[in-house]
Amino acid sequence: MTWNIGKSIKRKDAIEKVHGTAKYTADYISPNMLHVKLVTSPHAHARIIKIDISEAEQVEGIQAILLGEPFPLTGDEIQDRPILAFGKVRYQGEPVAVVVAKENYQAKQAANLIKVTYEPLEVIHSPEEAIQSHAKLIHEKLANYKKSDNVYPEPDSNIANRVKIRKGDIKQGWTESDIIIEEEFTIPPSDHLSIETRTVTLEIKRSGEVHMTSSTQAPYRIKEKMSEYFNLEIGNIIVTAPFIGGGFGGKVAIHLELIAYLASKAVGGKPVKLHYTREEDMMTAPGRIGLKAKVKLGARKDGTLTAAKILYLFDSGAYADKSTLLVKAAAATCTGPYKIDHISCDSLAIYTNRPYATAYRGFSHSEILFAFERTMDILAAKLKIDPLSFREKNIILPGHTTPTQVPLNNSSIGNLPACIKKLKEQMNWHEGTFKKIENDIIRVKGISCSWKTSTIGPDASSGVSLLFNPDGSINILSGIVEIGMGAKTTLAQLLAEKMQMDVNKIYIQMEVNTQSTPEHYKTAASRGTLMAGRALLKAADDAMNQLKTIAAQVLICSPDDLEIANEKIYLRDEPETAIPVKEVCYGYKYPNGYTIGGQVIGRGTYSLRQLTNLDKETGIGKTGPEYTVGAQGVEIEFNIKDFTYKIINAYSVIDAGKILNMKTALGQITGGMAMGLNYASGETLLFDDDGLIQNPRIRTYGSFRYGNHPNYIVDFLETPHIDGPFGARGIGESGLIGMPAALANGLSLAINVNLHQLPLTPEQIWKAVKNDDRL
Amino acid sequence: MMIAYDVDYYNPTTIEEATQLFHRLVEEGKKPVYYAGGTEIITLARSERLDLDAIINIKSIHECLLAYSDENEITLGAALSLTQVIKTNFFPLLNQTIAQIADQTSRNQITLGGNICGDIFYREAALPFLITESKAVIANRTGIKEYPFKSIFNQKLQLSNEDLLVQLKVKKNEVNFPFYTVKKRKQWDVGYPLITVAAVKKKEQLKVAFSGLCNFPFHDVNIDKRINDPSLTAKERLDGVLNALSSPVLSDVHGSMDYRHFVLKNLLQEVVDAFKGAKT
Repeated sequence: MTWNIGKSIKRKDAIEKVHGTAKYTADYISPNMLHVKLVTSPHAHARIIKIDISEAEQVEGIQAILLGEPFPLTGDEIQDRPILAFGKVRYQGEPVAVVVAKENYQAKQAANLIKVTYEPLEVIHSPEEAIQSHAKLIHEKLANYKKSDNVYPEPDSNIANRVKIRKGDIKQGWTESDIIIEEEFTIPPSDHLSIETRTVTLEIKRSGEVHMTSSTQAPYRIKEKMSEYFNLEIGNIIVTAPFIGGGFGGKVAIHLELIAYLASKAVGGKPVKLHYTREEDMMTAPGRIGLKAKVKLGARKDGTLTAAKILYLFDSGAYADKSTLLVKAAAATCTGPYKIDHISCDSLAIYTNRPYATAYRGFSHSEILFAFERTMDILAAKLKIDPLSFREKNIILPGHTTPTQVPLNNSSIGNLPACIKKLKEQMNWHEGTFKKIENDIIRVKGISCSWKTSTIGPDASSGVSLLFNPDGSINILSGIVEIGMGAKTTLAQLLAEKMQMDVNKIYIQMEVNTQSTPEHYKTAASRGTLMAGRALLKAADDAMNQLKTIAAQVLICSPDDLEIANEKIYLRDEPETAIPVKEVCYGYKYPNGYTIGGQVIGRGTYSLRQLTNLDKETGIGKTGPEYTVGAQGVEIEFNIKDFTYKIINAYSVIDAGKILNMKTALGQITGGMAMGLNYASGETLLFDDDGLIQNPRIRTYGSFRYGNHPNYIVDFLETPHIDGPFGARGIGESGLIGMPAALANGLSLAINVNLHQLPLTPEQIWKAVKNDDRL
Repeated sequence: MMIAYDVDYYNPTTIEEATQLFHRLVEEGKKPVYYAGGTEIITLARSERLDLDAIINIKSIHECLLAYSDENEITLGAALSLTQVIKTNFFPLLNQTIAQIADQTSRNQITLGGNICGDIFYREAALPFLITESKAVIANRTGIKEYPFKSIFNQKLQLSNEDLLVQLKVKKNEVNFPFYTVKKRKQWDVGYPLITVAAVKKKEQLKVAFSGLCNFPFHDVNIDKRINDPSLTAKERLDGVLNALSSPVLSDVHGSMDYRHFVLKNLLQEVVDAFKGAKT
């Protein structure tokens, strides 16, 4: 019997949020809190000659002014980033100095008075420029940086990492090919544009404890990294993560917490607050990675894919941060969800003078799918095969192996053929993909398939504690940060299902506190439900065993004879012999006062298992436990005269494994689709010839407004991932990742010219048509 | 939304009080600005792109908030929000033009006078007044004067330092001419213009005003001539208009110059087609 699974249980955070009373980091202030303001670089690449703080020091209320130091250097896999620029700046917006003042306006006044003299250096705008042999080095000391073992920066170059995939024999692949095409694609960097800009408050207590509240997706990683960078006792670092107003990967990066720590330290540990403006959030904090891709693809006449040679040049920006892992994720799933026996792929993280990149919902999958799925459509057209049939013919299936040579089964790969079948029905595919509506208006369809697995550390783990209340209700403690996806409500549903009890009697701690909440690796990579879900089920087993052990003494039986449901513990074959959970969960008290047991506390942890690093030369290895596959499409009304368009319908069919909460699942997929369509159609950072961002504000950035959205049509398949809680797969990113490719495929069909670059503004389309050499 | 420097705030209730105050502040070496909706002042001041130290709110001045229509003309106070102007429904061309500015929340705040006098150079609310018999009512400490709108608008309203735009007036018969206005954006339907046009047909002749094409809004009779010449093809019309332009076509984050040419060509055709058969 299903108690809760699949039902659209109201989110546990709904009431506070709809009333506007939910608190976010910036909402927390204390009377004696000092304010931190940054001075940032106006140049994309420049040497710092002199910093004059004499005038700034005169401003009333100034407590401290901090400048860059050579150490510590910080970073994820490569420690290449000073907390404040030292010696030179490598991107526009890079923090150069920090002012701490009593009032925010004083800090800003003083920041405006700090005079920095720069000597501009040659700016590297793109990964292609950066890998030219004569290219100026952005990190001269790349070889000396501290790094993890599984990342391969190339000294005396701008290459921060290279991941290679070598599967089969590429030469043989070309021999088997009747047709070979090669295409190039470009995606400029963009921003997450979370509604909540990044914020932190931090205080260093006299005891040495460092307390902070941060808009972070990775509170436990902050603890770990700060302990390393500043040589602090890890237990002294206490991070609180309240509600987060959108993360999308951007709040995985550890960035302003480090600045706040230095600022507080400079003023004797007093509480400080650093709250980014929109401009700082878009320029200073890291954004989404850019990509230049070359995809060479071969096939037989019958449409069987034979070989793929791929070069992914990712634009890491000024610092490596997550880029080294992003390129690994891209390499591991480089071909999209297709069976190709001969693959050669190089995926590179390349330094440029752009804002540095971090995780972004999809973790490089939407970027590579744009390149690969566009190539698939171009090849299908050359072969004169229907694009969906072409994909059906080449789908990766149980029994096949991935580009990193991991064998797949039903549980790990799911059922993409069924997704495509359903998409065809949803989109009335048999009616065709091109229709004239009126004079200048046509209606076209574009599609894409997708797959996604995680690329987080092989040792990532998650823990859950369950604390009983005296009335038999339960508090869940999980280190998942509520970034808006409703994962914590899903945990409550899982527990209600497991304990067969009313979900309203389950409470969940929304705020994460690293001192009291069990660790969840980081709230990223669509791993919340799998990892915290499994930890929770284990914790529930633990709690139920404890309840049964006490109840067995009261009911005079073996714990094995007992079951728990409806908040009662009862004999399996004699349910009327029962005791309420509430009489046991705080210990059972006999009439004479004797008591056995105390508060029941369930505990459980879950670690991803048998994941490996990728072999340096071949890429053999396993990055994630399961794939979420999907088929997506768009229907566009396109004006052939002025190249404007409207996205009428957007479709997703996702193999979710098991739907745990229908409404939040729909919300995840729909939100992801909107985000994918947004950055594919308009959102982008625009740079001038000096590498300076021209549009660091929402009004010129190009996002959808209310009313711009298409109809979202979302459907699910449920092929269980056996290891997932009740079979669920991660679905946090699947809505997004196929959308850019689907949109580009539809628009390419509309103009009968192949589009190779995002974002797909009417001007971009006009340019492609104008430059089409067939005209 | 923080403005880091100190700003004095004044809230006069009469034109005389406001203009005297402005003068006094200037004499004292201050840098005052008249303030209505505040959208632009706040936007520019928070990012240090506006130098001011005194704000004179004009939203308590009766004349600046008037909206009425008498036998001869329509009067609209400069401090009316775009939303309020739209609600009067006095001047359909103006309504349609300003309904395309920003988004609803911003239009509740942006004022008619503020949009026309702003530093952000689109000033689309000026377009309808440029192509109709309109007047600007301007006050300073020496008194209140009315000027033909086109005579005083060159790229922007030619106000002297202490002038306050109080009202805009348009002749009543002017609002009944056939009109067409359209805004082309880089993408979707909110945001600054790639090109905005407003056009009326008067005595069988089109008058067309532009925003977003150059870095100021304008109406140019020489351009009207090209647009009105029925013998020209679309390409010739475009070339004619481009030749008649006094300033280069913009190339910015919204679109390159070449692309604006393409959009303009289509747009001119769209305007011409829109008036086919319209009686004036």
